[in-house]
Amino acid sequence: MHRLIEWIRQRAENLVALFLGVMFLAFIAQIIFRYVFNWPVGWSSELTVICWLYMVLLGSGLWLRESEEIRFDLVTDRLGPHAKRWVAVVLGLVVVVLFGLSLVPTVKYIAFMKVESSSYLKIRMDVLYSVYGVFVLAVIVRYAWSVWRALRGEVATEADIAEKGYGL
Amino acid sequence: MNFASPFAIALYAIVGLSLLGLPVGHAMIGGSILYLFVSGQDMGIAAEQLLNGMYTSYLLLAIPLFVLAAEFMNTGSIMDKLLRFCNAIVGRFRGGLAQVNVVQSVIFASMSGSALADAAGSGKLMQTLMTKDGKYPPAFAAALTAASSIIGPIMPPSIPLVLYALVSNTSVGYLFLGGVVPALLLGAVQMALIGFVARKRNFPVEPKVALADMPRVTWEALPALLMPIILLGCLYSGITTPTEAAAVAAAYALLVSIVLYRNVTARDVYGALRNSARITVSIGMLIAGALVFNYVITAENIPRTLSTALAAYQMSPLTFLLVVNVLLLVLGCFLEGTTIILVILPVLLPTATTLGIDPVHFGVMAVLNIMLGLVTPPYGLLLFMMSKIAEVPLRDLVREVVPFLWVMVGALAAVTLFPDLVLFLPRLMGYKG
Repeated sequence: MHRLIEWIRQRAENLVALFLGVMFLAFIAQIIFRYVFNWPVGWSSELTVICWLYMVLLGSGLWLRESEEIRFDLVTDRLGPHAKRWVAVVLGLVVVVLFGLSLVPTVKYIAFMKVESSSYLKIRMDVLYSVYGVFVLAVIVRYAWSVWRALRGEVATEADIAEKGYGL
Repeated sequence: MNFASPFAIALYAIVGLSLLGLPVGHAMIGGSILYLFVSGQDMGIAAEQLLNGMYTSYLLLAIPLFVLAAEFMNTGSIMDKLLRFCNAIVGRFRGGLAQVNVVQSVIFASMSGSALADAAGSGKLMQTLMTKDGKYPPAFAAALTAASSIIGPIMPPSIPLVLYALVSNTSVGYLFLGGVVPALLLGAVQMALIGFVARKRNFPVEPKVALADMPRVTWEALPALLMPIILLGCLYSGITTPTEAAAVAAAYALLVSIVLYRNVTARDVYGALRNSARITVSIGMLIAGALVFNYVITAENIPRTLSTALAAYQMSPLTFLLVVNVLLLVLGCFLEGTTIILVILPVLLPTATTLGIDPVHFGVMAVLNIMLGLVTPPYGLLLFMMSKIAEVPLRDLVREVVPFLWVMVGALAAVTLFPDLVLFLPRLMGYKG
């Protein structure tokens, strides 16, 4: 099981790095097309926005560890192992319930978007937006898994500051 | 305010979940779902807000690209050459290496938009240089690096100012220009403090660099020094959009590392992409959560309500700005900066506009304030990071950072009281405000 999770994380990392690389190259292509060939293109800006959306949702859902996200860990880091397990159980259950509640309405919204297609690449919007469904599912599975682990007595290991998520 | 309203319940959920350690972006999505559920609305709205918001905010693409540019700059040995150049200029003064640290931060700030990227990039190198042979107390060196890194996001390019541009509909170009003078002011007050402390604590002087060596040292650092000129040139000449300018900066940094310093492998490039992606995803998730929660704030008409409530106090613009500064300083001790910019500032902005406060001035002031939160205990991310990098106990670090905090609060007061410090450059370039 752990090996499967690691494998998924590795592939997600490759994908997310690829999206960023493609975004970078598409921007360069866009500038070159406009100035060198005097030929403004629209597909590139659409491609970059798609890369951004997929990067964030797949990256957060399948790649980043919880400790790498931007979060407030001042309280939880000071708890003992016993209290930490209880926090993991309560937090996990609330997250599973809340995101679970939104699952069906989310799928309905995404399915409804099949009436539209993207402007340049002509991708159906329900296909494009389905990545959010993947994200919500990933969140539910991950927190259910963390509840299960906490109940069995496993505690998540401390994260190194170098791996912690940071923003500004 | 009704303490059992759907909005109040959503707030409790967000605060509670964040305190239990859920990533803040997830907590905002979860709280908003709860709001939609309790108020009987379609919970698909959360998906709609997040997806449409992310899909249409083209401006935000500048963030991963600015991060990537700084990553590429850190990959090559540009930092080395830059430090040698700074040393040649200010190393000869008392406390020379400490001054180098500040000047280096100002220059690197014009390539990177993030304080933590700045500290991560130069922090280790600066720490080693400054503490070698017991030249400087390790805690002082670490506190200084933390303080000088704050200049990063005030000097253009700046990730927080891009976020502010998004929520305030202000031009990124003018915001960036507005940050230049305050950033230089921060550098100046830090250098003045070092000059004062260095004499008292008798910090060492670096050997003078001979005048004959100056052209070579400058030449070697030139590619790095050109970066801000290229970036700002692209932005203000109108050749590229701000987002494209970020891509040009990244391409330039990559090119310089590969062609001039010739020590970049494919593995390095992948590593830079991965590190940038890690930062981008964590910021992006927070933005996604804020997009959903901003629906709740708008649906509840919070900014208008606040603006009306505050109007009853008949505050002068200056009083309002002082209140905002105190509020942000307190919030900055506990909340992460991105959250404040994306959630708190949009609530305050309508009141500021009503009072006739310029949005560019307000934005630069607020971002400067929020950045001070990065070195304010107890939740100062830069302090945590430098404590780890320098292997210095947090308590010693906090003691050494306090004088820096005071002079920077002084700079913040000046920026608050004199809007021209911010608005001078944008107006020079045609900003009408």
